[in-house]
Amino acid sequence: MVTGQTFVALLPELVAVGFLILVLMVGVFFQRSVGVVAGLAALGALAVFGSAAGLLAAGFSGEFFGGGFVVDNFALYFKLIVAGSAFFAVLAAARWSGDTGDAPEYLTLILAVVLGSILVVSMRDLFGIFLAIELATIPSYAMVAFDRRRRESAEGGMKYLITGVVASSVLLYGIVLIYGVSGSALLGDVARTFSGSLSPVALLGLVLLLSGFAFKVSAAPFHFWTPDAYQGAPTSAAAFLSVAPKAALFAVLLRILLEGMPEARPTWTAVMAFLAILTMFVGNLAALRQRNVRRMLAYSSVAHSGYILAAFAALQGQGAGQAVEAVLIYSAAYAVMNLGAFLVIDLVGEDAKSFNGLFRTRPALAASMGVFMASLVGIPPFSGFWGKAWIIFSGAQSGSVLVYVVVGALVVNSVLSVPYYFGIIRNMFFEKPTLDAAEPPGGGALKASVYVLALLTALFFLLIVPISALAGGSGLG
Amino acid sequence: MITTITIFVPLLGAILMLLLPEEERPLRYAALAVAAVPLLLTLYIYLAYGSGLDAPSLTQDFTWIESLNMGYRVGLDGLGFGMFFLTALLTLIAVVASYDVRENLKQYFAILFIAEVGMLGVFASEDLILFYIFFEITLIPMYLLVGIWGDENRRQAAIKFFVYTFLGSTVMLAGFLAFGILAGTYAMEALSAGGGLGRTAQIAVAAPILFGLLVKVPAVPLHGWLLDVYVSSPISTNVVLSGILPKLGTYGLIKVAIPLLPQGVQPFLPYLAAFGVINIIYGAFVAFAQPDLKALVAYSSIGTLGFILLGAASGNAVGLNGAVLQQVTHGLYSALLFVLVGVIAARTGTRKIRELGGLAARMPWAGGLLALGAMAAMGLPGLAVFVSEFMSIMGGYDAYPVQGILASLGIVLSAMYLLYMLARVVFGPIETPAYEAVEDARPMEMAAAVPLAVLLVLFGVFPALLVSVQRPGVEAVISAIGGG
Repeated sequence: MVTGQTFVALLPELVAVGFLILVLMVGVFFQRSVGVVAGLAALGALAVFGSAAGLLAAGFSGEFFGGGFVVDNFALYFKLIVAGSAFFAVLAAARWSGDTGDAPEYLTLILAVVLGSILVVSMRDLFGIFLAIELATIPSYAMVAFDRRRRESAEGGMKYLITGVVASSVLLYGIVLIYGVSGSALLGDVARTFSGSLSPVALLGLVLLLSGFAFKVSAAPFHFWTPDAYQGAPTSAAAFLSVAPKAALFAVLLRILLEGMPEARPTWTAVMAFLAILTMFVGNLAALRQRNVRRMLAYSSVAHSGYILAAFAALQGQGAGQAVEAVLIYSAAYAVMNLGAFLVIDLVGEDAKSFNGLFRTRPALAASMGVFMASLVGIPPFSGFWGKAWIIFSGAQSGSVLVYVVVGALVVNSVLSVPYYFGIIRNMFFEKPTLDAAEPPGGGALKASVYVLALLTALFFLLIVPISALAGGSGLG
Repeated sequence: MITTITIFVPLLGAILMLLLPEEERPLRYAALAVAAVPLLLTLYIYLAYGSGLDAPSLTQDFTWIESLNMGYRVGLDGLGFGMFFLTALLTLIAVVASYDVRENLKQYFAILFIAEVGMLGVFASEDLILFYIFFEITLIPMYLLVGIWGDENRRQAAIKFFVYTFLGSTVMLAGFLAFGILAGTYAMEALSAGGGLGRTAQIAVAAPILFGLLVKVPAVPLHGWLLDVYVSSPISTNVVLSGILPKLGTYGLIKVAIPLLPQGVQPFLPYLAAFGVINIIYGAFVAFAQPDLKALVAYSSIGTLGFILLGAASGNAVGLNGAVLQQVTHGLYSALLFVLVGVIAARTGTRKIRELGGLAARMPWAGGLLALGAMAAMGLPGLAVFVSEFMSIMGGYDAYPVQGILASLGIVLSAMYLLYMLARVVFGPIETPAYEAVEDARPMEMAAAVPLAVLLVLFGVFPALLVSVQRPGVEAVISAIGGG
């Protein structure tokens, strides 16, 4: 039954839809004035953030649409991450999309991805989940291919589209099999079927579902689209897509596994453990060889998917609650540092050499990038350290040898990732400037975003207590 | 509270530095003022609390993450106070000695002060995770100080330093985490004497922690990063790099590994003492072979770190007191020698021992202080290092006679290369005509060197000034390991 409560529950989504339409329509009339359109889109992201924060502050929770749509702290938290990342993505995209002449369309796409991503974290119905994922994914194909002036953009978009469609069909097939076995797509009903020993069909469904998600979150061996897509994509698209929809996907995967198949835990934690180890190594080893910073960050995002998957592997034993916290903390920690690192590319350049001597020409920007790189390695007190620390805490309490191996691999990979992140730091701080010292004009909003993100990365530890309190009251874990 | 303020004053100083305009003189004065604050606060703590460092007004205990029992816990004790003081002092000396840094001065000071936050924090941490965080906060600033302001070889040196010590500290963190999870808390107080862990668990936890700490020291053969880094750094960075950073490792041994995991480190202690002896003897032999004055000082510095390892491994009051004291005296003398090497290199344009000679005639102050520093390094009675080395050897001999005897042999070896160095550099005829006209140390250089020399004499004559403060801390360690 649709009541007033339902509208309150859907507030972030309704706000997103409203601003999406508004941006598109205003864009028709103000095609030339990028400021107005971008301002509106940024306001939209903030409004989504604000409405989710308001629901969180009010302690709002409940199930709607026959249990298929749920609002809880867990979902609201991820809505905050998505909307917050979208805000920075819009700021980063404003100038660039103005140059393309299609600012309203591009900014609408961002809001569409936001809509899909904030819907998906609230879904408790497998088909609803699928639809929401597609709602977030289809605009993202267009975002990747949006830069018509660069051939790589179209190439990246094409690769992303083809693999994405394959992934979607694999995911859908998995969902259909699970539905077939349990007779319902609601996670509560699925949980009743996924108990005891799994039937072969149920197992196949689980494996296909996990493979579909592995594609979408660029886990190895399904990661091969990532470098091309992110390298070709406009910077703001790569920054946003590597953070927001991915966080939402991890969130919904966590919900499916914990609410839909808690009894099958030994099976899926084992799968996650193998995926995590493989993904970490593949991402880091490939990133070591990159000279292009965008491509390096793309592989780095593969590696970081591996780290988050390690938290999934640790969802067992004593550490399960901590592992949920780890996913929450890591998603936010990764969002601030990775968005920041990508945004710097737009200000400096995508060749590793263009970072040479940045410390002498633009010290504040170099310091910010230094913070992002150190944080991505996992050096305290920056955000990335806390994410990894929580994964290690939870893994160490899991009581499973396989998870200890995963945690060991995580530590080894952190050391392995030092050369490529610190290669950038070396170029910025130790080399002589190669570029002209003059700063490119404009980009004020972009620079401000970078500084704010650097500050958030450095002061992230202040957010940990509230986040872990949220995890405790989330209903998951 | 005052401890916390002292730790974080340099952070404010770093921000202040970045806000100041790029003018050399005001910047230098401002940096001096910032660096003086922690030192004055430390002196105040010494005078006001002296032997009662466990006063509640010096400690803070704030449990931050309940579920993991991890928190912001700081306090001062006899073990850390000497190094806390030395950190504040040597940072000030480094600011004074920063005359060789010419470009990007304000960033230099800002980075130096951030490193100071980490170093002060380590010596005041009462929580394992906090200890690790402060430990790592020093890492990037040091990497940048060497990498940006060092000489031609700096890039390679900086990356080597980073990879070695990051690997070491990551392994150490693994040990800390395992320890905390098994014991259910990260508070050092609650973890004392094993925190309820059995012997096997303690050994398993102690091994990675010891490895990480020994890389930081560095104990031979884990010293691969050291020479390049020491030689490439600017002099003012050397002061901190040799005076404080190795002590993060040795202090970790004395404060964390030994009292918190007494049964776990016990099987490793004879090897730790042996590592100490290897450091002493290896350092002396390699120092002998160095053609470069700075490299000689660098190896002399690793050599005498061995006494700290030996004293710490002894597990008795004399040895531990010696080790804790040696941390401070080693910092004083090695900083003094590095400052003087910088002065000599700046005046004569070379660091090659072969090309130098007869500096006593031309540079009586610099040459004289170098002689004083070298005599301190030899462990000559009357100077501070003598007291601490003697106590370390006594304690070490009691526990491990072979290692103790070999260590005292090290004193003879170090006297040999240091006297040889003095004979070549300070005494003898002036070999290169160009040195006829070199000037003596300038006022700023003297201001960096003289306080160190004065303290070496002062603590040599009145070691009780420091020993009385550290004694309660050492007694706590002894009772944790179940001795005396």
